[in-house]
Amino acid sequence: MGLLSILRKLRSNPDKELRLLLLGLDNAGKTTILKSLASEDVTQVTPTQGFNIKSVQSEGFKLNVWDIGGARKIRPYWRNYFENTDVLIYVVDSADIKRLEETGQELSELLLEDKLRAVPLLVYANKQDLGQAVTAAEIAEGLGLHNIKDRDWQIQSCIATEGKGVKEGLEWACKSIKKK
Amino acid sequence: MIRYLWSLVCYFFRPWIKWFLRQTTQMCELQRICYGEPSGAPRALAIEDSLRHSRDATIKKLLIYLDDISDKCEITIETEQEVLQEVIKTVLLTKKINPVAHPDFAKSFGKCIELIWGYRQLCVECEELRKIPYDAENPEHEALLMKLWDSLNPDEILTSRVSKQWQHIGFQGDDPKTDFRGMGILGLSNLIYFAQEYSGTVKQVLLHSLHPRYGYPFAIVGINLTSMALRLLRDGSAKTHIYNSSKTLPTIRAFHHFYCCLFYAFDGFWMQSKPNNMMEFSSVQERFESNIRATLASPTTVFRLNVSVDNV
Repeated sequence: MGLLSILRKLRSNPDKELRLLLLGLDNAGKTTILKSLASEDVTQVTPTQGFNIKSVQSEGFKLNVWDIGGARKIRPYWRNYFENTDVLIYVVDSADIKRLEETGQELSELLLEDKLRAVPLLVYANKQDLGQAVTAAEIAEGLGLHNIKDRDWQIQSCIATEGKGVKEGLEWACKSIKKK
Repeated sequence: MIRYLWSLVCYFFRPWIKWFLRQTTQMCELQRICYGEPSGAPRALAIEDSLRHSRDATIKKLLIYLDDISDKCEITIETEQEVLQEVIKTVLLTKKINPVAHPDFAKSFGKCIELIWGYRQLCVECEELRKIPYDAENPEHEALLMKLWDSLNPDEILTSRVSKQWQHIGFQGDDPKTDFRGMGILGLSNLIYFAQEYSGTVKQVLLHSLHPRYGYPFAIVGINLTSMALRLLRDGSAKTHIYNSSKTLPTIRAFHHFYCCLFYAFDGFWMQSKPNNMMEFSSVQERFESNIRATLASPTTVFRLNVSVDNV
């Protein structure tokens, strides 16, 4: 099963465009996830300055995925991309235990944003293949996801470099849109 | 469709045209190119095209041999002369060229072979370096990183290995180890070469990158430019510059030099674009790349580093 079949399930919404916003700290793996979604080579990414955008299209259905750079200096610009977001995707480097607090801080600030109110949240617990990686459950705990009451949320463990778990996350994102 | 038909026409008529020219000029196509085209990219590109279209079994075998040794990076300063002599000998025999009557041909043709397969080998060498990820546990990698700091900031001592100071030269955080990503050691070597070989220019570029309004992260932009330089190398766009700028077998230094020229040109382009903020990087970079591609499309293109002092 591929991205195609996920999209096929959504045939009931022809021509619908979705705006997915990918955020997270630098080196979380946002661009790798983006490339993996677009079935592109994931071995040659560079740190994102500014943003990347890819449209994954199928049967009149269009997912516009916005990947915004995560370096501290450009995080203030994240807010320029909030408008009309259908799903917020937040990527966490599960092996970067030192910055778990920092990433939690950034996420909780995002969840307070007016323009992102009630937008479903998908958290990718990326880099599960690394030895020091903590589990998705531990990340959920660390980020305080269980306290979120005002929106749908989901945590998905993944290994973006191998494409593992990425499409499952997207599947959830599409489902939660359909529910709305 | 039209393109396809045209290539079909070319395929059938090429031998006839070649035969006709051979009869009238008493020279084979390779000779006509060597005598007719100016040295550097125009000549090497034409020779490359002619050889790749050849239907002669010996020439085809020769190309397979050359592709094979360059893919294994076996053309070195030591082996080069031997390889070239062998290739020239084969071509002289196959094309029935009298070396006494045409003393200049061998030299000029050999030079083209050196450029064409040196370039192919260069692509392999760059790819090998790119595939080595930066590893903070590897003392050699760490030494390279320190070398980068020292050559960019000869007057400032790095207070500790993990330090905010890295952000002054445009890394994302306190530790550059995760910033090289898919460009690996190639990205780091590019930056070191720029800092060491063009210390005057790099100072000027670094100063621009710290501009209060139009500043940009020097190292991160540099790593993105490694990616761009590699794209241009791989798809063959960089051939014009590399062929025109190489006096000898193109080696990794030729790629580093190409990178430095791109960095210098990008810096000027960025400052001139007067971007509102870093988020415009993607669009500015795209425009820059298409400009560079247009320049490289001209066979006489060769980039140089203009070491002029300007005031910001």
